[in-house]
Amino acid sequence: MATREAGKKMIMLKSPDGMEFEVEEAVAMESQTIRKMIEDDCADTAILIPNINSKILSRVIEYCNKHVPTTGATGAAASDTVAPAALAEDLKIWDAEFIKVNRATRFDLIQAASYLNIKGLLDLTSQTTIDTISDNSLEEIRSFLSTKNDYLPEEEQTIRRENQWAFQ
Amino acid sequence: MSSFRRPSRSPAAAAPLDDEDLLSEILLRLPPQPSSLPRASLVCKRWCCLVSDPRFLRRFRRHHRRNPPLLGFFFEEVIPARGISFVPTLEPPNRVPVGRFSLQFDDGDRYRLLNCRHGLVLILFGKHNQALVWDPVNGDQHRVAVPPSFYMAAPTRVRGAVLRPAGDIRHFQVVLIGTHKEQHKPGIACVYSSETKEWGNLVSTPLPPENSIYSFRTIVYRGMACVLVGNCLYWLLSERSALILEFDLDMQRLAVIHAPVDIGANSNCHFSVMRAEGGGLGFLFLSDFNAQIWSRKKDCDAAVSWVLRRTVQLDKLLPLKQGMGVVPLILLLLGLAEDNNVLFLMADAGIFMVQLESLQFKRLSKISFWRHLHPFETVYTAGNSTPLHSARTKKNTKKKPGMLLTSFRVKLTISCSVLHQLFLLLLDDLFII
Repeated sequence: MATREAGKKMIMLKSPDGMEFEVEEAVAMESQTIRKMIEDDCADTAILIPNINSKILSRVIEYCNKHVPTTGATGAAASDTVAPAALAEDLKIWDAEFIKVNRATRFDLIQAASYLNIKGLLDLTSQTTIDTISDNSLEEIRSFLSTKNDYLPEEEQTIRRENQWAFQ
Repeated sequence: MSSFRRPSRSPAAAAPLDDEDLLSEILLRLPPQPSSLPRASLVCKRWCCLVSDPRFLRRFRRHHRRNPPLLGFFFEEVIPARGISFVPTLEPPNRVPVGRFSLQFDDGDRYRLLNCRHGLVLILFGKHNQALVWDPVNGDQHRVAVPPSFYMAAPTRVRGAVLRPAGDIRHFQVVLIGTHKEQHKPGIACVYSSETKEWGNLVSTPLPPENSIYSFRTIVYRGMACVLVGNCLYWLLSERSALILEFDLDMQRLAVIHAPVDIGANSNCHFSVMRAEGGGLGFLFLSDFNAQIWSRKKDCDAAVSWVLRRTVQLDKLLPLKQGMGVVPLILLLLGLAEDNNVLFLMADAGIFMVQLESLQFKRLSKISFWRHLHPFETVYTAGNSTPLHSARTKKNTKKKPGMLLTSFRVKLTISCSVLHQLFLLLLDDLFII
């Protein structure tokens, strides 16, 4: 849970299971959905985030905390003092650790990122899912994603024939 | 307390893979390699529908537009000169069949392949003073009349570039550059927009006088294609000069800038403009077997200078002595893929592709020689809906993917190669459109 700092506006986010998270407004506004609510003046003291449980919401807030452009004591953006490449590399390493979660949690994070419209998190979670399956065989992909093959053998053969080169 | 008043989608309502929008978001991140979508379409019917949807395909191309794969390269058929051919350079299963990307012209049409960029190919026709913009992936062809300034005056060499405006995958721009054989004539440039269907104003810049020592002409060099850096296009001005022509698309300004090396005295060298690592204009100077990579930098007081970034000893990097087992006599620069930063070099052992950052290389076997090739970098999304090319486009012939190359599989000697290069150089000089 975020700690209140002097001079920073805080927002309360509430999950459906009753947990409350006090976060800096700038952190909450990493979500374009929340940003719009705040900018449209639709947010008062607390915002209920429906259907995102406290476990996932806390991970989303953790992500936003890390990715919000931070400011130092002088007010200068941190990225002014740290080389952008080093900052990007640091975030990349952090992201790689952050996304080491099981499949169910990752899918929950994809849904949350989409619902809250957090592009970076949606990129990270979706890309990780694709990276996990892209080197697998069709059967492995279907098994991993719990998807059934609903093609008739002849239908599958037709598709293979149309783009024979892609299945060599 | 506030809550989302009208949630567009309840996040717990469906697993991500059951939600069309979320599944689409995930599948957008499939690698941009040609086989990605055909393979994804085999998972199940729902995936097939999704990855065949034109809206998805547009998003897929837009999502990967900054890192398009290098599918292969185009070249002009020379003898007989009947069209544009494609050579795939990716390995299976991403090797797009040759027949999908070939274009034939009527006999007698004099044409020049000028440029490939952003999935488009620009071809110039001398007979009707037309430029053709061809999208090999969907087969679309757009013909544009060339402004009279490029052919009414004294013999003008016309070069050009095709590109899509930033973030736009529907419209394109054509930039034509004209330089005159006569001295004291300015260089000219003009931009066509497919959005307005009009040419813009003609812009010009004075060109430097003929160099009396080396007797080169200030005429834009067609050997290497131009490069797009930011919103500027760069062409080499002459194959014997250290001058570069710059066209700024934002400012609509044409200018001449100096390259970092003195080329005039060096008879065995090749060079090209390129994108510098980390952005900005770069310059590649290939002398014997050393490739110098330069970049242009601006100081804080806006002064511009060239910096030599590194030198690559290609004879130590590449297995040049393989093949016929003789010491290579010549190394030719054939092309440069600007998005992938890949250099195409011709040596006695065949064509080499060298990625300039990683220095990883690959030899294209069974391929002999071409003087100019135009790397084709794009996201191939034809997938299951293979476009029906126009009547003038080659049908998907019965040739197997390697057959085009087979016709060139002639045992060559180094001397034959050099003679051929000289012949094509002569063609360069003869072809003034």
